[in-house]
Amino acid sequence: MKEIILNFDGKECKGILGDTILEVAQKNDVYIPTLCYLKGLSPIGACRMCVVEVEKNPKLLTSCTTPAVDGMVVHTKSEKLNKYRKQILELLFAGRNHFCMYCSQSGDCELQRLAIEHGMDSVRYPYLYAPFENDATHPDLMMDHNRCVLCLRCIRVCAEKVGAHTLDLQKRGWAATVCADLGQKLGESSTCVSCGACAQVCPTGTITIRELAYRGRRKDCDDIVESVCPLCSVGCKIKAYVRTGSIARVEGTGTESPDGGQLCHMGRWWLPESTERDRVAVPMIREGAHFREASWDEALSLIAEKLGPAAKQGKAGALVSSLCTDEELSIFSAFYRDALKLEIDTFDGDILRGFVKGFEPFRVQGVRPFTGAHNILESDLVVNLCADPQDEAPVVASYVRVAVLRNNAKLIFAGDSTDPFDGLTDVSVRLDGTCKRTEFLKSLTACLVSLAESKVELNGLTAMDSYAKALEEFAEVGKISLETAEEIVKLIASAEKPVFVLGKGLAKNSEVVAAAGDLAIAARAFFADGLGLVPLLSSGNSLGAVNTCVADQPWLRTKELDFLYVYSTGMIPEDEDSLAAISRSGFSVIQTPYLVRPLVNLADVLLPAPAWFERSGHFCTIEGERRRLNVIVPPQANLKGLSSVFDAIAKDLGIRVERPETAPCEEFFVSKVSPELAKMAAL
Amino acid sequence: MSKPKLATVWLEACAGCHMSFLDIDERIVELLDKVEVTATPITDFKEIPQVDIGVIDGAIGNEEELHIAKELRKKAKIIVAWGDCAVFGGINTMRNFMPASEVLEGGYIHTASTVNPDGVIPKGEVPALLPKAIPADNVVKVDVYVPGCPPDADTILYVFQELLEGRMPKIPSDMMRYD
Repeated sequence: MKEIILNFDGKECKGILGDTILEVAQKNDVYIPTLCYLKGLSPIGACRMCVVEVEKNPKLLTSCTTPAVDGMVVHTKSEKLNKYRKQILELLFAGRNHFCMYCSQSGDCELQRLAIEHGMDSVRYPYLYAPFENDATHPDLMMDHNRCVLCLRCIRVCAEKVGAHTLDLQKRGWAATVCADLGQKLGESSTCVSCGACAQVCPTGTITIRELAYRGRRKDCDDIVESVCPLCSVGCKIKAYVRTGSIARVEGTGTESPDGGQLCHMGRWWLPESTERDRVAVPMIREGAHFREASWDEALSLIAEKLGPAAKQGKAGALVSSLCTDEELSIFSAFYRDALKLEIDTFDGDILRGFVKGFEPFRVQGVRPFTGAHNILESDLVVNLCADPQDEAPVVASYVRVAVLRNNAKLIFAGDSTDPFDGLTDVSVRLDGTCKRTEFLKSLTACLVSLAESKVELNGLTAMDSYAKALEEFAEVGKISLETAEEIVKLIASAEKPVFVLGKGLAKNSEVVAAAGDLAIAARAFFADGLGLVPLLSSGNSLGAVNTCVADQPWLRTKELDFLYVYSTGMIPEDEDSLAAISRSGFSVIQTPYLVRPLVNLADVLLPAPAWFERSGHFCTIEGERRRLNVIVPPQANLKGLSSVFDAIAKDLGIRVERPETAPCEEFFVSKVSPELAKMAAL
Repeated sequence: MSKPKLATVWLEACAGCHMSFLDIDERIVELLDKVEVTATPITDFKEIPQVDIGVIDGAIGNEEELHIAKELRKKAKIIVAWGDCAVFGGINTMRNFMPASEVLEGGYIHTASTVNPDGVIPKGEVPALLPKAIPADNVVKVDVYVPGCPPDADTILYVFQELLEGRMPKIPSDMMRYD
């Protein structure tokens, strides 16, 4: 990296060869106004707000697209520049119908801010008053073309970060408008994943989120808190805007991070909505068909009274959500597992056990059996094994689409259901049982192993024979033609950095997970942080739950229980099996922030819990990072911390609970050995 | 020396800008020490006298407004455009997306609250609409622009104070607003 030095308005500024003029300026806190530019998206120099004067160059240059050169003398502020910038703004105002007084984005609008900054107190050009449409067909988004400045940020974020390529430009000149798919309305688009990234990056009031018209603008908000989305295992970093005690809006953290600062429809809409849901406000005790309000003391004594005998007979247990933080999970573990020697599990225990057991052969070798999900972006071949990322972890689906569409990665699908990336996939194998049985993956692994051996000259010929045999077997197992089989093997064998995305369906059989690990080793899917697997676990802190709470063996469905303590975060609907187990249990304590039905109907004692935005702690995400969940809104009154709840119960039971040490989840799957040294589980 | 004279006219706009002017509250007393208010929407002058400062509040949307704006320009040394309507056209420009005839039909015949079985559209009794509602500076020269819907009372006062001090004000960024 060669350092370069530029002069901005008399100030010496350092940059790196390859930076644009704007990048050097921003690194050195030199302000240049921008409109179409957004960090992380490819610069296009469309709006020309960022023009600068460079000495010895007669033309004005767009700083966002012009490479910085050592020794450049740049002027960012001058009468001439101000004149042109103001002129651009006036043309933008005259060209479309920007009326701040009835725009929901007034105050948040970058166009407005720039116009005010440049002293635009009138518009010298006649307004066109051209009629543009307001596309209100999408249930959650609005696209008012009257307010568009054609910065194309939405189109770029949709293509470069979300990989959906829903948005594009139609027509020319002043008549140009952003359109969905091939000229459809946004609500009719078949490719839009409703992630709202376009609305987040829109500098004006063109693409807006309907709800925000009443939730409030950014400028109306009192505070911005960074936290983590708990809704899937990616754990996207979020920025929550707080307005009078509730979350007005949630945004991704920045287009420059690997995830492009994107969120999915869940994070964007469900998280703010969750602040408006009906809450469990006070402890309640069932009396016949009704609940009556009770004090914490009364409720906790009753719990202790029921838990005591049930625990002695080993007929008690706890079922917790893996949306809990590491700290919360540790408290559960310390109380139920360590102090009472009882079973504990998470709602997604079966999925997690499948992955954990499948990963065990690699973990014991000191190999981290997966890689950060964003590394899909570095991969040249994505193998989707039984996953539907758009459903399981939507941002991972973005990674896959971007890898294929922008980075020219190949895509292979194998699974029981329809190919979720139909149209993008190079080879697709749909076969019943692929996700439950190991044959498909094992025979594919065998092909790769024998192909690799055939390249070693000594036993080349015999290995060729065994490769041919393996290929035949693979084709037979997969019920595919020999050509397709060979295509799959060649795609994997020739890939530099393949990555395997594992759907949670795979986890029903841990041997399949282990076979996928073997396949990754045979395919030399090695990343700096671990083996090239991306398991789509179910929720925000699934990895943390693996470390603290997940039982070794499933017990919930088979065990007869007199007492069950359920802790739900109320953010993901409970599965039927868990609900059935809860209703079978003799006495159920349900602690949850929200009035989620049917769960709360099953309670004998109902306890309020803090909602996700009232808690703090850590999540271990499949992005490979331990991320911090922060309190966004202070907890409501009458809530009790988990440790004081269990201290009170323990006191009644007359037992001692050790203060749990929060086991950092990343230590469980730490990478001690380079994945290249990993040995296959089957060997 | 006599006090400088001020006239304000209320053209195509709501009363918001004049209301915002009155929001300078007790400071109006001090202002009136320095300036003589002549024609305003509340003083009911039929003729605009010769003034130093003429304020236009509102866009130009019909023949009468056009006439008044031109009259004021003739009588005033300095013209101030108050508010988004006078500066940019404002909310009145919503009608610019259809012909003026459609606007009249909408207003006098099709509106749900209108009873007009004969479909009479007044002609002559009320001033004729211009084809489009336009900012004041499309018909007269404007010297000072005060955007805002409405501009803040402080901004309006600032403009007067500057003018009375003999300076031609430009609204600074921290005072400028479009909504």
